Amino acid sequence: MTLTQCPVDQTLALLCGAMEENRLQHPRSRRIAGQLIAMIEDVASGRAGSEHLPTLERLADELAGFAAEATGMALGTEVRLSLTANHEVFASHIETQNCAAGACDRLAPSPCQMACPAGIDIPTYVALIGEGRDAEAIETIRRDNPFPWVCGLVCTRPCEFMCVRGRIDQPVAIKTLKAFAAERALSLGHYVNPPQAPPKHRKVCVVGAGPGGMSAAYYLALNGYTVRVLEALPMAGGMMMVGIPRYRLPREVIDREVAMIEALGVEFCFNTRLGTDVTFEQLRAEGFEAFFLAIGAHASFRLNIPGENDFPQVTQAVDFLKRVALGDRRLPGQEVIVIGGGNVAVDAARTCLRLGCASVTMAYRRTLSEMPADVEEIEQAEEEGVQFSFLTIPVAVEGEQGRVIGLRSLKAQMIAQAGSKRMVPEPIKGSEFILRADAVISAIGQRVEKKGLEELQTLAWTRRDTIQVHTATMATDLPGIFAAGDAVTGPATVVEAIGGGKRAAAAIDRYLNGLPQPSMPPVPVRHHRAAWTEVPAATKMALKRQPMPLLNMDRRRTTFQQVELGLSENMVREEARRCLRCDICRRCGLCVTICRDKMKVDALRLGYLDFDHPGPTDFRWTQEHCIACGACAANCPNDAMQMEDRKGERIVHLCGTILSRQPVRYCDGCGQAIGTDRYNAFVRQRTQRIAPVTGNRVYCEACGRRQSILDAHDVHPMD
Amino acid sequence: MALRKGQKVEVFRRSGDESWEPYMDKFIGRHGIITDPDTSINDPESLVEVSLDGMGTHRLPQDCLRVLEA
Repeated sequence: MTLTQCPVDQTLALLCGAMEENRLQHPRSRRIAGQLIAMIEDVASGRAGSEHLPTLERLADELAGFAAEATGMALGTEVRLSLTANHEVFASHIETQNCAAGACDRLAPSPCQMACPAGIDIPTYVALIGEGRDAEAIETIRRDNPFPWVCGLVCTRPCEFMCVRGRIDQPVAIKTLKAFAAERALSLGHYVNPPQAPPKHRKVCVVGAGPGGMSAAYYLALNGYTVRVLEALPMAGGMMMVGIPRYRLPREVIDREVAMIEALGVEFCFNTRLGTDVTFEQLRAEGFEAFFLAIGAHASFRLNIPGENDFPQVTQAVDFLKRVALGDRRLPGQEVIVIGGGNVAVDAARTCLRLGCASVTMAYRRTLSEMPADVEEIEQAEEEGVQFSFLTIPVAVEGEQGRVIGLRSLKAQMIAQAGSKRMVPEPIKGSEFILRADAVISAIGQRVEKKGLEELQTLAWTRRDTIQVHTATMATDLPGIFAAGDAVTGPATVVEAIGGGKRAAAAIDRYLNGLPQPSMPPVPVRHHRAAWTEVPAATKMALKRQPMPLLNMDRRRTTFQQVELGLSENMVREEARRCLRCDICRRCGLCVTICRDKMKVDALRLGYLDFDHPGPTDFRWTQEHCIACGACAANCPNDAMQMEDRKGERIVHLCGTILSRQPVRYCDGCGQAIGTDRYNAFVRQRTQRIAPVTGNRVYCEACGRRQSILDAHDVHPMD
Repeated sequence: MALRKGQKVEVFRRSGDESWEPYMDKFIGRHGIITDPDTSINDPESLVEVSLDGMGTHRLPQDCLRVLEA
């Protein structure tokens, strides 16, 4: 089965094909096939319950055993075989309301949810936040991610890059909405853990209390396992705590979410280093049956230049950030040079400013456009006063009397590498110069520290010195040992580590129960089809992404207060209304095609439907051009486009965006609703050659026919 | 190739890198967006995070990716 094929969809097509082609002649066969179709349509649209699958099996058996019609028997057998071979897929559709292949329209995840490494049901929680149901939103998020508040502040937000709204103007501020809901739910005491499974009395050990380790611990604890987390540091959080500065992620945020995991009965052992304080052998003897390694990437690459190891004022960025996070807030120096151009380098530079360093310069061997750090981070660093020295290649740390006095460097120029388009920095001969400094911080990348894992002699490592795993399960080649997070990916993102931990927890559960492992990573699960919020087209277009208010500059330079202040409640609710509800509209484009090519009306300007070549979008265009014929709504496979009459108006809306609102006209004869003026004009224009004109009067079809006969004979009924 | 966040890319071929797993063959021909390039050292050898349209987010080697637009 390829990803675009779904056994549920295929079985439905098989049955529908047999019915449409009249291959079943016997009334009883046709009745059973009709019932099978109805049942499978329920499965494919998320309406099925626990009785559906047994009923389907019974009906298929009944059809296969009905000897009076051979075609029906063959069809019944084929359906029964499909049900047996794909039992898990049918069951998954029913239980999770999710179609992994995306073939069953109603059950396919939205692009944002697909993009989230943790698989959060984003459209649902955004819709809930839009309605002010923050606690329910957090409940939805925490099914897939135990750190909504952390991710609300520091997620790299792959979801926003895939957000379909971004094809119109700017993506919905998904990350910020999550932070608001988490803060509000915690503040009101509505942030609760999901119910736990009964204890299984089986033990799993997690090594590392970072986002990956704690996510695995969360899901394992929810599943009834006894979990112990070993952490070398004196607190939980891993790189979230000691790698991300407090002005981006306050400690209280991490502490509150860790406390929720601890409340599930997870045991944390701090200041405990695997291999030193405890060994695998000891843990196995204690009854631990599976291990999850989430040790992060806390070691640094070295500069390998003269002087690097000769002065105490030369430090590694990761060590520096950790020292500050653990409470040591002494200045590294007055004039600091940070070497590197990544996010860690920017974090180190901005931290130096907050500690009170007089000048902070980032030395980077390439130019601004090649800097790998996030653009927003670079901009904020520049605003705060960090200086940049581009095209600068460090060659030696200079010092006197045991103290750093500067960084000897060469100027570089970017040249194209032979046989490649990639531009590389080449030192310019004779361009040597000294950047004055009394402290140097190196931030040229992190690597995984292998110390502590010597016991696992046969553990496979990649050429990048990361732990080798099967990424569908995060399983290593050693039985019962799983790994995720930076230890597997190299320095990566919090949400990726969370996704890896979640995936590993599911794989550990299968391993301990002797179940086969999947060959592909899981597809995110839709939990709910939340109701949409109605928004007029003009408002939908006018609502722009809310800008993030920032802390004032003086405080940004002098304190570790959170820089991003978050959105106000009103801004959050407005922002949520920008969502296009891509969990409901699958962007198949059928509505546009029918309106333009079949009806020749062309009232839908929905350029955002195309991923590769998005065109202009204007929801307001429809109000001016729509005739409210309903062809788009009638053909929408997912009920995303709908047309309905309300209080004398015919309304066409797409996932709640009101595209057209026109007065409905009623038959002058019988009073029945007969469409809008534009629709009637459209019909009249097409039928005027064959239907007599009835003046200015408006009739429904039946009354019109009757009236035209009367008009033709010039006979008028007596009152 | 130094990839930037937000760039549209295509998985245009199988990678010879050890991190390429059999299930990733299904990604070939798919388009996506770079969501987390190598943010530390700008290394052409490092794995980058790509969100593929309809296929989820994955960390892939750079040699299988082709930039679709600047």
